[in-house]
Amino acid sequence: MSWFEKLQNLDRRYIYIVVALCIIIPFTFTFHTNTYTTEPVENIYQLIDSYAGREDRAILLSIEHDPSTSPELQPMEIAIVRHCFERGVKVFFLTFRITASPIIDYVINTTKEEFADIQSGVDYVNFGYKPAALYLPIILGMGDDIAEAVETDSEGRKLNNLEIMKGIKNYNEMNLVVEFSGSSYGFGWITYARSRFGANVAAGITAVMAADTYPYIQSGQLVGVLGGLKGAAEYEKLVDLFAVNQLEFSKEQEKQTFPRINNDDILYKFKTARIGMNAQNVAHVMIIVFILIGNIGYFLERRRKNKQGEGS
Amino acid sequence: MIETIGIWVAAFLTLSIFSFLYKDNPFYKFAEHLYIGVSMGYGIPLMYKLSFIPFVYKPIFKMHEFILIIPALMGIMFWFRFSRKWGWMARYPMVFFMGIAGMGVPLSMHASVLVQMRSAMLPWENFNIFLIFLGTITILMYFYFSKAHTGLYGKFTKIGIWYMMIGFGASFGYTVMARISLLIGRIQFLMYDWLGFGH
Repeated sequence: MSWFEKLQNLDRRYIYIVVALCIIIPFTFTFHTNTYTTEPVENIYQLIDSYAGREDRAILLSIEHDPSTSPELQPMEIAIVRHCFERGVKVFFLTFRITASPIIDYVINTTKEEFADIQSGVDYVNFGYKPAALYLPIILGMGDDIAEAVETDSEGRKLNNLEIMKGIKNYNEMNLVVEFSGSSYGFGWITYARSRFGANVAAGITAVMAADTYPYIQSGQLVGVLGGLKGAAEYEKLVDLFAVNQLEFSKEQEKQTFPRINNDDILYKFKTARIGMNAQNVAHVMIIVFILIGNIGYFLERRRKNKQGEGS
Repeated sequence: MIETIGIWVAAFLTLSIFSFLYKDNPFYKFAEHLYIGVSMGYGIPLMYKLSFIPFVYKPIFKMHEFILIIPALMGIMFWFRFSRKWGWMARYPMVFFMGIAGMGVPLSMHASVLVQMRSAMLPWENFNIFLIFLGTITILMYFYFSKAHTGLYGKFTKIGIWYMMIGFGASFGYTVMARISLLIGRIQFLMYDWLGFGH
């Protein structure tokens, strides 16, 4: 039995140990890797950034996932909220999923800790949880009047009384909805808000779903997509590079500059995805090696069986 | 103090679940059963606090919006499914929901079919658009089973198969990334929150 054939019959528990080590070691010795951004992520960043400091523009983050997909989706939510807080973009939060309600609070509080001046009702507002039965009435109703469709925020305040709502009426002003979801739940925004009112829609989704969204990017129905941990890492980089320094986006600068993630200049919570991508990179290389070994072993085994068949 | 206890409990349960990778054991069984129980136990009070109180109790009993009694009754009618005698009553709210879903059919048709078809019919201004056109046509040809996949037609369907294989490969790659990300999330919790690395 050759070395490759022995590997074919290897106890799967050894593979688990190798996978665990591939992830633990990069966390133990944090090193710097370059993150390169892609167009779907840059499009979302640039659109949000174009609303900086404007009274008559806002974005809506529709958070529709539970804690099971938080490792992928939470870093991108924090990165976008941080971008909005840094650049003075009005941001609304909403969920139709009851278990997402505490996640919204966590994302807001985690980001807000670093921004002393940010106030609820002035810079952001959490519409809170709305029952799924109101999904259609709210999405369609926001096309006419957001304050009328949503009525109150998570603290029970009338939206009409909030300072943040000045200059914001419907999708003409709240002209970007970013849906964070671990499933295809979020395509309601494309179906209703995009088709009916022409609202810009973007998606922050788990990597499992990312491939399915590309037809919607190609057709222009999605402005952009943050796909899994990689998408989150890209957005984190853009925020560190441009939003924190109050700079306009520049592709040339993005290609040449890489904020260091292996020192303390950037808080851990704002580089979670990029540190995670270190482990992801190592794990991917390991999986490629495993697939290659498995295939070589398979072909060697098949050749041996063919030879045995010819001999007998 | 409470937070520290929470982190230790979460770490213990995470390790208990991971212990299944070695083999089935009482720690895993305990964590698995606890997870299912806690999921239900967590969801019900959350539903009561965030859904029943603000959208049913307060509007009807505090603000006297009595019109809301009708949807509340329709919601209660769902529970009649558990009775053989009165189960038919659950059909009425179900029909109402189906009617609402039907409202979305024209817009879904527009978003998922018509716009997608339009974007597959663009002039070949660049090579990518040609590739999308070729992929769409050849995959549709593959799924036409009233003609044998032989000769020139068979060659086109082969191209369709290649397109699908590349698509499956991309999906698989993304799936690996997603699963590893979840593991990364847990390891980050164990190393940073529990063991205190990076603090």
